Amino acid sequence: MNNSRAQADAPAPDTYRRLIERLPVTLRPSLNQQLSQWGMLFPFERNRVATFMNGVEALGPSALDALTAPLRALELKMGVGHWSFSEDADTIENASLLARSAYYVEWRREVERVFEAVNATARDSTPIQTGSTRVILLFLPASLPVDPQTVWQQWDPRGQEIKISGDAGRICELALQGQPGLAGIATLLAGQTTPESSDLWLIDAEGRLNDMLSSLGSPPAASSLSYAALKPFRDRFLAELNKAPKSIQVTDEVVANLRRESWDGWNLWPAELIGQPRMRQFVIDLFLSGNGALIFSNAFVEWAASEALRRARPRAIVASFGMRNKPKAFTSIAIFENQQRISSLPDVADPENSAVDALILARYVWLSASRYPEHEQTICLCVSELRNTAYLIAPAGRSPGWSAERSVAPEDVYRWIAAQIVA
Amino acid sequence: MDASRRNLLKAAAILLVDQWADLHRCAFANEFTNSGKDDRKVIVVACGGIRRAETFHNTGLSNIPHLYRELLPRSVFYPFIRNAGATSHYNTISSILTGNWQRLDDWGETSPVNPTLFEYLRKRMRLSQDNAWLISSNKALTSRIGASSMRDFGPRYGANVIFPKQLLINAVIRAASQGHPEHSADRAAMQLELEAILQHADNYDGLGWSVSGNEPVLDLSMQSSMQKAIEDLVRTNAPVTGDEFTFLVSSEVMRRFAPSLLVMTFSDVEVAHFGSYSMHLAGIRTMDRLVYELWNLVQSLPSYSGRTTLFVLPEFGRDFDGSSTNGFFNHRAIDDSTCLTWMMCLGEAARSSDVVERPVQHIDICPTIAGLFGIKELDLPGKSLPGL
Repeated sequence: MNNSRAQADAPAPDTYRRLIERLPVTLRPSLNQQLSQWGMLFPFERNRVATFMNGVEALGPSALDALTAPLRALELKMGVGHWSFSEDADTIENASLLARSAYYVEWRREVERVFEAVNATARDSTPIQTGSTRVILLFLPASLPVDPQTVWQQWDPRGQEIKISGDAGRICELALQGQPGLAGIATLLAGQTTPESSDLWLIDAEGRLNDMLSSLGSPPAASSLSYAALKPFRDRFLAELNKAPKSIQVTDEVVANLRRESWDGWNLWPAELIGQPRMRQFVIDLFLSGNGALIFSNAFVEWAASEALRRARPRAIVASFGMRNKPKAFTSIAIFENQQRISSLPDVADPENSAVDALILARYVWLSASRYPEHEQTICLCVSELRNTAYLIAPAGRSPGWSAERSVAPEDVYRWIAAQIVA
Repeated sequence: MDASRRNLLKAAAILLVDQWADLHRCAFANEFTNSGKDDRKVIVVACGGIRRAETFHNTGLSNIPHLYRELLPRSVFYPFIRNAGATSHYNTISSILTGNWQRLDDWGETSPVNPTLFEYLRKRMRLSQDNAWLISSNKALTSRIGASSMRDFGPRYGANVIFPKQLLINAVIRAASQGHPEHSADRAAMQLELEAILQHADNYDGLGWSVSGNEPVLDLSMQSSMQKAIEDLVRTNAPVTGDEFTFLVSSEVMRRFAPSLLVMTFSDVEVAHFGSYSMHLAGIRTMDRLVYELWNLVQSLPSYSGRTTLFVLPEFGRDFDGSSTNGFFNHRAIDDSTCLTWMMCLGEAARSSDVVERPVQHIDICPTIAGLFGIKELDLPGKSLPGL
């Protein structure tokens, strides 16, 4: 049975709820939270829950009890029954209670063991296909002065540096717009499967990807996010989040309220998210999960791409990093505040340090992808548009064979990637 | 750092400490002798979450020129100190202070459940509160860190706890909340915002400080001094870091109170939580410079020179690149990158330099410091550090 079939055959969440009740308490919040947001899950997430539930059901009560007995015993020792522990959703308080338990390390090991065993049972009857070629294109724009000597030093040694002849920025244009005789990524993906917007993600620190797409007749089926375009929403969201007092319990309430808030009435969403409730929820979840996504554009790009990889396992991600401003006198101490709101000093760009940030965060996107089995079929290309250089990581046995000395034209780079997608 | 800006920060710190001195009717350290004083001094500097990869590793030495070149050769260095507790700030500092792994509310809503070093010292040696200070940049701590919930110890034996950075944050937020964004860029307006915080009891409480029994109101006679400090502070147009101000306030506490035990926590590096690696590295470099300046200050002050032991350590590392917890952003992974870090010990207890490769733990610091003060027979799980 393939993934889409598994999704179509997935039982209703009510069936899952009964199965979740058979699991140890500490496994329930995450699963229940996904069920409560079922309509907002990406196809991959629904498949993942369905696969896990198939495994729980396939194990049968006695085998499941035997499998989870050590975890239940551990929960007893941890005193979970006496905690204020939410079974409905992952909360900050849940995470805090677990992390400070003396048995936390053991607990994590047990949880991993249970998940692996259940998923292994499920995989026996529902093999997961990961064979399609996937693409991650990461762009460090010309405004970011990366050090040409060290730019790729920390990258995966399986990859290779490529010198680009001409304008390396052309690769991004080709990926999004294509050219006569060479289709863009969206067109290539649409030609292979039923268009599903979570298969292609466009994540941008600024607004360049949307600008490139605007020249196309109709927008492609894609999940498109721009930190710049989200500014009105971000500002409002940050202001609400900053009202949370310094208390775990109260912060959990604030977070839950922000998740439930009907933001649509505020008219703050960018045009590309209108009519996209799942993506709007993704953005809210992204901002609530921290990691600087509300504060710095490059952190937004990295974390959005990482979460997209975790939750949607897209066929392709195109991500473009950008510039952050220098910290301001006094207000930089309150970095979690909206700097433009709390200081009237003009913004001043910080290219050198933005480059430092973007470079490590671009690498983090690849490292995020590397945690999942699909990465073995993933092409990752990170391009420094200023230095006309790129780093390519290709699946084993599929290297383009370009030598380090010879420069490659942007068209040839993209043509090779396009050929891999349709191969 | 720009010299004029440094001077302005320094002036602000001096005046801030003046305020407490006046508040307590005690202007200088030698006036405390009647309330109990010990010649031995210990300073602990905890530096937030810093990975070995960005410090004592060949990839990180350029970030710590002072620690590596100037201080390492004269230190007892522990390349392997393990944080085996909860790698959150409040729990880690509590564990260092108590010698027991603390598993408390991460946001400091409960006090340590074992006596702190401050309490052991003050109770056993009959020291006044001004001999025990915790000065922190870190928002994750609260004043509860200064004393345990133990019945026989507790706040009456606790430390003065202050958060200098919070004064600046509160002023910025206050200006914003009142719809005055221009105040953060205007000296005179910012001055009013800062003064307002210290003039009103409710705003002073909002700083989270606990000074000399947690008096609810700061001495109004200090307002003119603070006014001068604030005026100087807002004059700069360059970024002001929380750790810089924490260091300057700590320096003034050392000059005027010469406490027996001073614990400082830096947190500029915690900007990593927001994903700026360059700002995280800048925080490491600031820490490196400030620790060196602290060491030089110790040598220059008669009340400290020749009688002080300085401990410097990260609270923990940060998560490894490629971790499911987003690498350097966080410190949640159960891995050596997060749990294993380094410690440097300088001064009186470390008279001959050494590298102690035997693994030690954060909870070993408390019994070691207690031992330096002659306090023995504490029933603690940690062991005294070897090599001192």
